[in-house]
Amino acid sequence: MGNFDRNKGYVAILGWSLNAIDAIDRFDRRYVIVAPSWAEEYANKHDIPFISWNFERLNERSMEIAKRLKDEGVDVAIPLFEETVEWAGAINAVLLDNPRLMGQSLLFRDKALMKRRAQLGGIRVGIFEEAQDKGDVIRFLTRVNQALLKLDGDPNDPIHLKAFDKAGCLGHRVVRTAEDVDNIPDEEFPFLMESHLDGWEFAVEAFIKNGKIHFMNISEYVTLGYSVFVPATPDLEKWRPRVEEEIQKLIDTFEIDFGFIHPEYFVTSDGKMYFGEVAYRPPGFNAFELIERAYGFNAYQAMVMMFDPKTTDEEIEAFFPKEVVDAKGHAGCFGVYPRRRVVNELKIPDATENHAYFEFHELQSPMQNKVPKRSAFGTHWGLVYFFGDDPYQLRDLLKAQEELDYYL
Amino acid sequence: MESRQLIDKLEYAIEQLEQARPFNKVRFRSAVLDVGGRLAGEPGGVDALYQLAARCDRAGIFADTPWDQPATLLPGLVRNTLEQGDRQTVLIELLSQLRLLAVSNGVYTHAGIPAEQARHFLAQVMALNLDHLLAGPGEAMRARLGRTSTAVSGVFRYLLENIGFADILGSLVHEVRRIMSQRPLQVDSVKSMITQIALARSRGEGGNGAAAADADRLVSNLFGPTATCADDPGVQLYLERVVRLSAGELESEASAFARAMHENGLVSDYHAVFLRWLALADVDLPIARESLQALALGLSSTGLDALRTFHDLVGRLIEGAVHIGTAQSVYGLALILESGMLYSAPVAPALWRQIDLRLSPVCAEIQSTVFGTQVTPATRLLAGTIQVLGQPLGIGQGNNPTCQAARAISMWASNDPDYLLHLISRAAHFDEIVLHFEGEPISSAGAAGAMIPLDTDPVSVLLVPHLDLIYRLMGELCAGRGDDPHRWINPELHGWWVGRECFLAVDIQTGGLRDYDAFLHRFYCSYHPFYNGNQPIIHPQPAGLAVTDSTGIFVGWHAITLIRVALDGDNVMRLYFFNPNNDSGQDWGAGVKVSTHGNGERHGEASLPFAELASRLYLFHDDTEALVPTTAPDAAELQEVKQMALSSWAAGRDATAQAPTVAGSSAQG
Repeated sequence: MGNFDRNKGYVAILGWSLNAIDAIDRFDRRYVIVAPSWAEEYANKHDIPFISWNFERLNERSMEIAKRLKDEGVDVAIPLFEETVEWAGAINAVLLDNPRLMGQSLLFRDKALMKRRAQLGGIRVGIFEEAQDKGDVIRFLTRVNQALLKLDGDPNDPIHLKAFDKAGCLGHRVVRTAEDVDNIPDEEFPFLMESHLDGWEFAVEAFIKNGKIHFMNISEYVTLGYSVFVPATPDLEKWRPRVEEEIQKLIDTFEIDFGFIHPEYFVTSDGKMYFGEVAYRPPGFNAFELIERAYGFNAYQAMVMMFDPKTTDEEIEAFFPKEVVDAKGHAGCFGVYPRRRVVNELKIPDATENHAYFEFHELQSPMQNKVPKRSAFGTHWGLVYFFGDDPYQLRDLLKAQEELDYYL
Repeated sequence: MESRQLIDKLEYAIEQLEQARPFNKVRFRSAVLDVGGRLAGEPGGVDALYQLAARCDRAGIFADTPWDQPATLLPGLVRNTLEQGDRQTVLIELLSQLRLLAVSNGVYTHAGIPAEQARHFLAQVMALNLDHLLAGPGEAMRARLGRTSTAVSGVFRYLLENIGFADILGSLVHEVRRIMSQRPLQVDSVKSMITQIALARSRGEGGNGAAAADADRLVSNLFGPTATCADDPGVQLYLERVVRLSAGELESEASAFARAMHENGLVSDYHAVFLRWLALADVDLPIARESLQALALGLSSTGLDALRTFHDLVGRLIEGAVHIGTAQSVYGLALILESGMLYSAPVAPALWRQIDLRLSPVCAEIQSTVFGTQVTPATRLLAGTIQVLGQPLGIGQGNNPTCQAARAISMWASNDPDYLLHLISRAAHFDEIVLHFEGEPISSAGAAGAMIPLDTDPVSVLLVPHLDLIYRLMGELCAGRGDDPHRWINPELHGWWVGRECFLAVDIQTGGLRDYDAFLHRFYCSYHPFYNGNQPIIHPQPAGLAVTDSTGIFVGWHAITLIRVALDGDNVMRLYFFNPNNDSGQDWGAGVKVSTHGNGERHGEASLPFAELASRLYLFHDDTEALVPTTAPDAAELQEVKQMALSSWAAGRDATAQAPTVAGSSAQG
């Protein structure tokens, strides 16, 4: 472990991510990783401060880890994954002597609760309901399309199904027809159903301290589940003041004093902003790396700084660059899914490889020839990274990747 | 894409890698390699990559890969990497070579690999891959690697421009001669080096200097050593020519083959064809068949006598073993005859047994899997047996941690050949050998097929899995005895002649030195002729070394054989030993450089001044009672030896400070 500054806080990181540990080990805070026992041997071998803990559902033993961290002198716990968000809430309630944090974390963990709370706070959300069985789904799909004044035979507007407590696209399905509903496995119930919002979807990464936004990045989705880049195009960035207002509403409604949030929004064609969901943990799709590529600061370190109760305003001031104007360029990535049913080899398309914005890829050669059929949004086979000066060119480039074969 | 843009991208990727903690280096490796590989394909890109190669190395691009220890890289594996490796592995290889070029040019240093060694390595790599250099990547590589194959040829061209074929030609030839002076059994990589030289020379590369002439001689020795085959006519045409030769022409044909073979120990395929024809062709020769055979084998009067005495056996050995593809067995056969080994009563009948030996399906399968099907498995094994018996010191362990087994085979081949033939026949026919440990039979059943060393000779491929298993089983039987198991294993595994006393410099429990002064004192009294009553080493003796790298840092325990002690041409007392490592010419740091020729070594022997070897020794055997009075060794010299040990492998192992990291670990590799 590197040197740490004794005047700064001691943080516990909940969850195991080598990228996060690497970044935090290089930072100036004392830290300890709290993660399942399978990581212990590795941690010991590499001198990573480690406490073994298996994060199942919160239970009567939750107090035990909170007390242990308190005795250890830890100031705050930071969740890395969706599954550890409520643990962080429970632990921080003890460490910071603030029982409210526990309840707050549960709001982040249940998408239905989250939406209701947002609605109560005057935040605009789409129509949503909880589904216990297929009957609920059919009813919701029908009602939504009735409300849209669709006639029999018109194609339905889709609805979205999301697991209550899973991150990002995991368990996310789009349903348009009764047949789609039939294809939903029973074990996926219950979940949240949402109306489809035709609009421009984007995500925000907001670093918060003392109830105030200190750095706010807007990640522009080119196509949800495929590609994202930062900073966004001027077309989207022009919404920044409105987005900030919305985030502030979120901060107030959810009573967020510190930390890092990652909400998703839609802007509809008439200029209204709809809240999608919010996570209290680092985003997927390597957004932190894109932010680092574009702005040069490490977002894991920034997150630690936001959680640490001993962080000073001066440090925050010195740490963050100015949004958009200080970016060295635009960084994006594209998640590759094979487009063919049978693939033999990985081949980066010439047009991609020759493009000045292309950086590198993390794709592996195919291990199996047959491509498993995708249900829900599934997992991509690896990311391809791009970096360049012109956000429009980058956006078009990312879009164009969807039509290219990486696997032949 | 502009190179400048790629360089910017690469520098960002390297920065990320530099910052990363060791456990997360691998996360950033692919970015560096990916961008670096594309850069290498751009005009001027290889040079840019060369400029960054040292930085990549320092940043940890090779962390947790074999390339992190460049001193242990084998030039012979590079070709395989380029031909079989995936894109990332190929790119790591290329980057490693550029990094070694920086080392060789003196602009970068990497622990464990001095500039000279880096240059050796690159020279060998280039020699083995001259086709990439001169002809560009083959179709197969292009198909597999896409544009990375451009990077491959780009890097090789760059190496050539910066080292230069004419420049390396001298060191290539030197390299071939240096390796061949040790007379290894494995000559494939040397042969392909010479093949590549031949191809380059035929394209007019390399100029006309002394190195060029020397290179041409190597080439002609291998591909056309005689007047009749100087134009490399192919076997058919050659045989047509041979039958028309006069007596005098046949004699010079035979002697030319022998001269070429004994010069470097490499055998031309024409030589094998000629010898086979001599032994088997049903024609009337204008001169006595035997004397032509003796000439073709380059025999002295001893060898000639053996040939006459065992004429039928030799004829059957040639018939069974000498083919195109096993030409090296000609050299082994010549050395068997020269050694007089056949006069030892059981050897000839044991060879007769092997000629008719039926291989088990498992054994046959393994031989053809490892060596291909150009000749039958039985032929392969017979040829390999002849080679091992002829060149006991030519055995190499390959890239396997099996120095014990390799050493044992070598020892038996020179000291107990009929026993080795016994083991070969049992293992080849029954897939099992049985050795005894303190009266207990230890079986190797089940070992065949497990962990086959792919890069060794046919006999090692057959026996090493058996011997390695038995070595480990014996080790298990010694567990808990509280001392280095080699004390008991060595005499039981190798034979009765191993000294029954075992002397150890190291306490196995703590890894610390133990009675080191007494240890050195006894070693001198046992082996140094000035102090042991001028007694020679009678049987080869197993010994254990603490091997160090060129900076003197401890690398591991290693098994060697002490062969003889003698004064060299400069009146320095030297210990001549066998190292089962493939290339014995090693630098063990602090001036301890193992010599393989030029200091009185016989082919295959390594040597060091007595004191220098003593300074790396940690285990030896001797018998309890000396037969003749010994004298006390020179105390000053012992002190000096001790200091050499303490400043290298034994650092931190003296009584006060112990090195727990090595305690208890005594497996020799």
